[in-house]
Amino acid sequence: MELGRLEYLQALVTEFQVTDSTGNERRCSLALSVSSVSSHAQPFSLTEAREQVLANLANFAYDPSNYEYLRQLQVLDLFLDMLTEDNETLVEFAIGGLCNLCLDKTNKEYILEANGVEPIINCLSSSNEETVVSAVTTLMFLTTPQSRVQTTALPVVECMLRFSLSANTRLSNLASIFLQDYCSPPQVEEARNLSKHTAVGIPLPKD
Amino acid sequence: KMAAGSSGGPGAPCRHHAQLGACETRAKYREGWRPRAVKVYTINLESRYLLIQGVPALGVMKELVEQFALYGAIEEYHALDEYPAEQFTEVYLIKFKKLQCARVAKKKMDERSFFGSLLHVCYAPEFETVQETREKLQDRRRYIAKATNQRDCFVLKNVEGSKKTASKNSEHDRPWSTSGSHAASNWDPSCFTTAPGVSHNTAYPSGNQNQSLLTSPHYDNSCAEISGYFGQNTSLTPSVHPGGHTPPASLMQPRMVPAYNGIDRFMPRTTHLQERKRKREEGNKFSLIGTSEDNTEVVIGPQLPEIPKVDMDDESLNTSATLIRNKLKEVADSVSTSVKKPESSSAKPPVKQRRRI
Repeated sequence: MELGRLEYLQALVTEFQVTDSTGNERRCSLALSVSSVSSHAQPFSLTEAREQVLANLANFAYDPSNYEYLRQLQVLDLFLDMLTEDNETLVEFAIGGLCNLCLDKTNKEYILEANGVEPIINCLSSSNEETVVSAVTTLMFLTTPQSRVQTTALPVVECMLRFSLSANTRLSNLASIFLQDYCSPPQVEEARNLSKHTAVGIPLPKD
Repeated sequence: KMAAGSSGGPGAPCRHHAQLGACETRAKYREGWRPRAVKVYTINLESRYLLIQGVPALGVMKELVEQFALYGAIEEYHALDEYPAEQFTEVYLIKFKKLQCARVAKKKMDERSFFGSLLHVCYAPEFETVQETREKLQDRRRYIAKATNQRDCFVLKNVEGSKKTASKNSEHDRPWSTSGSHAASNWDPSCFTTAPGVSHNTAYPSGNQNQSLLTSPHYDNSCAEISGYFGQNTSLTPSVHPGGHTPPASLMQPRMVPAYNGIDRFMPRTTHLQERKRKREEGNKFSLIGTSEDNTEVVIGPQLPEIPKVDMDDESLNTSATLIRNKLKEVADSVSTSVKKPESSSAKPPVKQRRRI
């Protein structure tokens, strides 16, 4: 059964990589136990296939029993790579996947080692609400005594200050928790003073 | 389509409430039997609060709440009059005591017919208070720490950290307050010792607990929803009696080791049994604690109250009472011994673990 799960995840990742580099028809022939190309009437795009696969992986990432497999299949790297895609949906799913699995110590260390904090901070400027919300939570989860100099850097704290005033309750709640639990009062104070003088910073997500 | 940052407050419709069109382009090997929209579930999306749309406006709030209450204790519920609703339908908000229950309820009740109308159930995290969101995140931390056996690192690495212990209260962790004074330590906020009494009990029927192992694409669940069942794994309650032996009603709790002191841990069933065996073997080393002759059990937890000795004011009745009492005691003792027997064969679980490919 354990092997069955790994093969299934492997099939997903293989499928993803193949759709990425070649064409539609290739995909099914390399996946396990797929008899033929999907016979649905709707034409589907490469993009849709990638999104589906990534969503599946991100959802798998919610379950700790999959972490070992996901690491073996280098899905963490996949998520990190997808953060810089143009496709907003891919970014949303990738940061969601990271959010789901980053609390595990091994995963956390891996992400920090791989300099994952920077692309995650960049997600804070996304116009996609889910992306931003996942990014805030991921930063919280990735905060350690060593990493906090990065995760609670001044621009980030400034950003959180603005988010905490948002009418979007989910966002403002998370931002408030970030400021209260992960930042020191001097840090918050510094950010507050700075934002009084300049308008430079990470923009709020568009509605 | 509603804007994400709408200023209508918690009651305003949000993008994540919108039903996505079902995905029709999924490859064969990934088809569940139900069409499913492409969506990623994170802890931010999930909530104890559920929004229920499509409730027929027939004055059925009571029935609705009763239906949902099957999945767990409900803390609050009310109609959302301001929320846009289809003609002849109403929208309700139901707040569960536990996230797990909300998860199950959502899965079961979404797209269910209710008094002739199709319900649409989704999470409503925007109704959470800051503290509720905070607790939700903390629960998720604790769950991961337990599930990945990482909860001990806090204790191991910070022997001198009395200051940290004080700061690690049930409210929230403050990494900034401690990193200054303990430069050498590797205190990681993710390492929490689990609070005793963290329970994940729900109204969830026990028959499905084996399904906590995620596998099959053909299986009818998305993995995020299956993983929600982990917190309520097969906990070792004394009700697991071998060989059909039924203890007398008044002594339903033989003094078996509650192996995790009420703290649930996610482990496959065979490992449960091995864990118990290991704990028992450990317990044998310290068997100073009151146990009888060959009793291999270490007693953890409160002693059962003594059966009150009643004076019936009549000699023959007292004799009968004593006889009954002794009989009960005798049966109770034999229950403890017979329950211990299967531990020797713990390598072979009596029930075959259900596998799914």
